[in-house]
Amino acid sequence: MKQEEALINKYGKDSGLKVPEGYFSDLEANIMASLPPYKKAEKVVSLTGWQRVRPYVYLAAMFCGIWLMMKVFHTATQPMNMSLDNPPAALVEMIDGEMDYDMHYLPFSMMDFDNEDEDFIMSYDNIEDFKDDFYKVGG
Amino acid sequence: MAYKAPIDEKELVKLLKDEKTASRAFETLLKTYSEPVYWQIRRMVLNHDDANDIVQNVFIKAWTNLHNFRGDAKLSTWLFKIAVNESINFLNKEKTRSQISGGGEDDSSFLKNLEADSFFDGDALQAELQLAISKLPEKQRLVFNMRYYDEMKYEDMSEVLGTSVGALKASYHHAVKKLTEMLLA
Repeated sequence: MKQEEALINKYGKDSGLKVPEGYFSDLEANIMASLPPYKKAEKVVSLTGWQRVRPYVYLAAMFCGIWLMMKVFHTATQPMNMSLDNPPAALVEMIDGEMDYDMHYLPFSMMDFDNEDEDFIMSYDNIEDFKDDFYKVGG
Repeated sequence: MAYKAPIDEKELVKLLKDEKTASRAFETLLKTYSEPVYWQIRRMVLNHDDANDIVQNVFIKAWTNLHNFRGDAKLSTWLFKIAVNESINFLNKEKTRSQISGGGEDDSSFLKNLEADSFFDGDALQAELQLAISKLPEKQRLVFNMRYYDEMKYEDMSEVLGTSVGALKASYHHAVKKLTEMLLA
């Protein structure tokens, strides 16, 4: 490079910068005297598979717990629109089921009407006649 | 000043990593590298006292970070890298300080300071060249000093500065061109 050669020819390669006499041997001694204690390399501890995934498992479990708590809280705070006119479907179904059970599975004797009493009542055409006879008997 | 390590670096690194032999090995490291590292710093900061402080910091940093040196690069590259970073940090601090205290240094005060430095025994021409170098951008200044005075190989420079060889060649070319324009036009 011609320009570089021109610089070297005019200015040379000496920068003119100097150091004190015996500077480098003093520098070495000064640095050696000011060194802090030797710092050992920290040992790298190898982790097992479980130790590596453990934080992620704990994190996932924590999120599941929070989700479950929120779900329970949400269900507990839902308003119940229930009244006699508007019973919950599940309750209606349950009552119907029990009635069907009674109809089908109760012993016959418990469902039997007293036919004699019914015939006796039905033999009156007029309720007043029935009342007269009823109070006479009761006397 | 072309630099070649006169020691077996692998062996030295091994000794530096052992607590029992580290101190003796560090002495060898200092004997081998303190001079080239000092000159690298001195050419950037120019003042001997500043260079002296920085070079001490560089070696103390190297000592405290020995356990971080993996041996992928050469010891000299690692030390030069620390030296370059420390020099740049120092120059940035100085720049900020002079801006805060009201304006930078002009040419005449630069030359006055240089010639008043008891560890500068150059003539007017050498002072003129130093003044022109100080006007180069930081990276070009580093590359110029490493190549012109130290005759460092571009490949070694590339490792120290983390820049491609092509970019370094271009940088040196620009630096020489600027200096020629400033000094020889």
